Amino acid sequence: MYELIIVGGGPAAISAGIVSARKKIKTLVIADSFGGQWIMAGDIQNFIGTKSVSGFNLAKNLESHLKAQEGIEVKQAAVLKITKKGAGFSIEIDKGETFEAKTVLIASGSGHRKLNIPGEKEFEGKGVFYCATCDAPLMKDRAVAVVGGGNSAFESAISLLDYASKIYVLDRAEILKADEINQEKVRNSGKAEIIAGVSITEIFGDKMVSGLKYQSCDGGEIKELAVEGIFISISRIANNEIVNGLVEVNQAGEIIVDPKTQKTSVDGIWAAGDVTDVLYKQGNVAIGDGMKAALNIYSYLRIDNKK
Amino acid sequence: MKMVKIYSTQTCPYCEMAKEYLAEQGIKYENYDVAGDEAARKEMVEKSGQMGVPVLDIDGTIIVGFNKPEMEKALKLNK
Ligand SMILES: Cc1cc2nc3c(=O)[nH]c(=O)nc-3n(C[C@H](O)[C@H](O)[C@H](O)COP(=O)(O)OP(=O)(O)OC[C@H]3O[C@@H](n4cnc5c(N)ncnc54)[C@H](O)[C@@H]3O)c2cc1C
Repeated sequence: MYELIIVGGGPAAISAGIVSARKKIKTLVIADSFGGQWIMAGDIQNFIGTKSVSGFNLAKNLESHLKAQEGIEVKQAAVLKITKKGAGFSIEIDKGETFEAKTVLIASGSGHRKLNIPGEKEFEGKGVFYCATCDAPLMKDRAVAVVGGGNSAFESAISLLDYASKIYVLDRAEILKADEINQEKVRNSGKAEIIAGVSITEIFGDKMVSGLKYQSCDGGEIKELAVEGIFISISRIANNEIVNGLVEVNQAGEIIVDPKTQKTSVDGIWAAGDVTDVLYKQGNVAIGDGMKAALNIYSYLRIDNKK
Repeated sequence: MKMVKIYSTQTCPYCEMAKEYLAEQGIKYENYDVAGDEAARKEMVEKSGQMGVPVLDIDGTIIVGFNKPEMEKALKLNK
């Protein structure tokens, strides 16, 4: 029986793991990979204390910092289900094993969301991409579109600046959410065009993508863009399947937490990072929230329950 | 000895992971940077029918993405 099982391997989970190991809480971290979304992030310029670091290297640093903690146990596997068992919880993993713990921290993050429009599935990998860091270099001297208006969409556009001949950024919102510094870099590049307040209706092509259709959100005529690459970076979906029906979630499927403690609706379960209803889905925030959760779990295990 | 080719880009994290994995297993491979090399890019698209990286060619078995179980199978590392 562990005192704490942490599910996830991203910034939130790793921060919580380091704190709990230092508090000598008997902890197991179960994750199917380490580093989280930062594996795919290009150049990170807002990781506090570091001017610029590649997401891949930062992910590696997080993993080695976690694994360097004395006494921490780490298991590489996917968690399938978490259920209540006695005074604690039972965690089932893909290899058929189960583990038990007094408390659980869910830090399973988020996955990419699809547009769910005709052509998207058919052309996945054939011009439809979800990771600009990976696939931007294939778009040398080609026209591309980025779908989304947040930081990750603009970071995708920035990675494409070095390769693509023309970049369209399309977003549903009229006012884009991305940091001004990212928007400026794209706007001032001379090869980008921002089309706000529109939705993509179809992706088309022969063997590979040759274009997309879009329409302004208030109706209006359907227009076409000739592009060979479409990079989809819209808001993400919380990875909540493992606690389906167990804890309360909001309409978007994000786990509802108390922002002071990261507690969920179920006594003994905490959540942190992008899987929660936290307003800002950022690595730095996930690290802070993971730390908050671990400190509160420590109080719960060692102080509150001893009174 | 298996003939292993990897089609990759310099920025792609999953390419890096696939290369690290091959190196860990002591397997030699040829790397083709499809960003700079149009001929390699064409070859990769022909073999895999798509453009995402990495693509691995292990003695003719084509694997798209960093997929450890598939790599193990093709490399016959399965115990
Ligand atoms: C392209 C891109 C660029 C970004 N750039 C920045 C930036 O510059 N600055 C910044 O602050 N933030 C950035 N972000 C956002 C940041 O990466 C996220 O906010 C942060 O990673 C969230 O951390 P997390 O730990 O909550 O979840 P994630 O990073 O999503 O990690 C979740 C982890 O849980 C694991 N997992 C999920 N389900 C299971 C399961 N069932 N069993 C086992 N393991 C599981 C996953 O494998 C993963 O390791 C960027 C994101 C993207 C996609």
